[in-house]
Amino acid sequence: MARRLYRTPPRRTPVSTRTVRRIGLYVLLVAVAALFIGPFLILLSAATKPASQDVFGFPPDLIPRPPVADWFREAWTTIPYARFLVNSVIYVGITVPVYLVVSALTAYPLARIAFRGRGVFFMLFLSIMFLPGELMLIPRFLVMSELGLTDTFASVILPAILSSLGIFLLRQAFSQIPDEIVEAARVDGANEFAIFWRICVPIVAPTLAVLAILGFVSVWNSFIWPLVVLTSQSKFPIALGIAYLSGVAGTDVRGLAAGTVISLIPVVVVFLLLQKRILNSMGGAVKG
Amino acid sequence: MPGLKGRVVGQHWYTPYVFMLPGLLFYAAMFAWPAVIAIQLAFSDYDIVHPVRFSGLDNFVRLAEDPRVWIALRNSLLFVLMFLPLTVVAPLFLAMLVNLRLRAIQAFRMLYYLPVITSMVAVAVAWRYVFNREGVVNWLLGLFGAGPTDFLLDRHWALPTVVLLEAWKNAGLFMMIYLAGLQAVPSEQLEAATIDGANAWQRLLHVTVPSLRPTFAVTLVLSMLEAMRAFESVYVLTRGGPLDSTLTLGYYIWSKAFEDYDMGYASAVGLLLWAIMIVLAGFNLLVTRRRDG
Repeated sequence: MARRLYRTPPRRTPVSTRTVRRIGLYVLLVAVAALFIGPFLILLSAATKPASQDVFGFPPDLIPRPPVADWFREAWTTIPYARFLVNSVIYVGITVPVYLVVSALTAYPLARIAFRGRGVFFMLFLSIMFLPGELMLIPRFLVMSELGLTDTFASVILPAILSSLGIFLLRQAFSQIPDEIVEAARVDGANEFAIFWRICVPIVAPTLAVLAILGFVSVWNSFIWPLVVLTSQSKFPIALGIAYLSGVAGTDVRGLAAGTVISLIPVVVVFLLLQKRILNSMGGAVKG
Repeated sequence: MPGLKGRVVGQHWYTPYVFMLPGLLFYAAMFAWPAVIAIQLAFSDYDIVHPVRFSGLDNFVRLAEDPRVWIALRNSLLFVLMFLPLTVVAPLFLAMLVNLRLRAIQAFRMLYYLPVITSMVAVAVAWRYVFNREGVVNWLLGLFGAGPTDFLLDRHWALPTVVLLEAWKNAGLFMMIYLAGLQAVPSEQLEAATIDGANAWQRLLHVTVPSLRPTFAVTLVLSMLEAMRAFESVYVLTRGGPLDSTLTLGYYIWSKAFEDYDMGYASAVGLLLWAIMIVLAGFNLLVTRRRDG
């Protein structure tokens, strides 16, 4: 770009033009928002329309008149959505705490203890990232049958315990803890585990919180692996339950919509409560 | 810690290994062991019922002669080609939009991010109501005089529709990555460009884009790998159909392994996918390194 010989001060935009510009930007933001939440709103509309109103039709008639809870009740009673929800809660409730503990234990020496081969171990755990999940489906299924665990809750939980992201983020968090804090405890005679558990873990709590949320979302949405390893419908997590029923009850568009809305509520609530933390972490996490 | 000579009080030679023991056990059982089995299976015949039988390179010979592998490979590459502009370019504009200093901008970031945290299954169900023959998209097309299309049942439309949905679901994630990048763009440079009379478009092209180079490297790799392994969306939307028009490598592996129980062959296709992903990631690394150097 050719540099000008003299600089002109930026011209001040009149207030009215600025207001118009601002309104234009909001119109654009809302239009884009419609693109991203529109499909969910259409889903919600299908789930709350009374029987007398068509789900589809030209032109689309999206406002339920009046909104009814019939399909939620139907989804809840005639289809085991409640069972699926309970299962998902169990899967999340066991997986996430174990995931956090194992990740923290693994990341701690990689960050804070000098030992031979530390770099090699770190690369080992990072290599998880480069194993495509699709390739792992078959051998993991065989490992599970070898261990006699197919179609058990454990088979769904075990592969989700270790992730490279967890180890990576926690290692960074642990290594940022100032040496003085740790040394003071050491002088007081604390052993390494006490230093880890009583001093370092509380300090990295924010990172643990982020990982807990990401773990929650990923276990709640997990679908392919349970599909492979589970055969009894009574053990299905919610995402698998919905996929299964959209095949079985494919014609019941309202019940399916209601069930799907039910499945979205927990993640959306968690997201709304903790959105700031999630959004801030995502960009940073991927950038490293 | 490092640099300290001798034994630190409370530490033994085995201390780090005790800490890492659970992690190493999970690594061995859930990653290393399966990876070894995957490679072993690729050179074997296995159908779950009969014992594993070593078959040398048979699976790879079969692979080379299997027309459906080439269809799957072509579809996967088409997927990447359509997916890249939707996830590498479009979310940059989204990020610029939510980077504006406006009231309630955080709420918009949140709304755009919502599809990322929802399950692909729920997303697929929701979009079914949109792309249905009597759905909103066909109504909109009707306003312009275009006839209704069964997007997911049409040989030509099915793949682009799956790509679009997958890109829509991931747009928020890419947006947040760009947002982090944008907030690191030096504001002095942007101001200097403004004073020099650069318009918004010129600032984007000559200041923002060049300083986002590392971010582009991240999104490009993520996007390619995501597209290359597309499976979940295909499974819930089209099951590879109609007429193999959405058969991706990921879905082909699935259907060979868990529909035909042809596990050895499926593993061989899996190794092919693995190799392609490694080549793509390596190529990408090479290109970005050279540019930086």
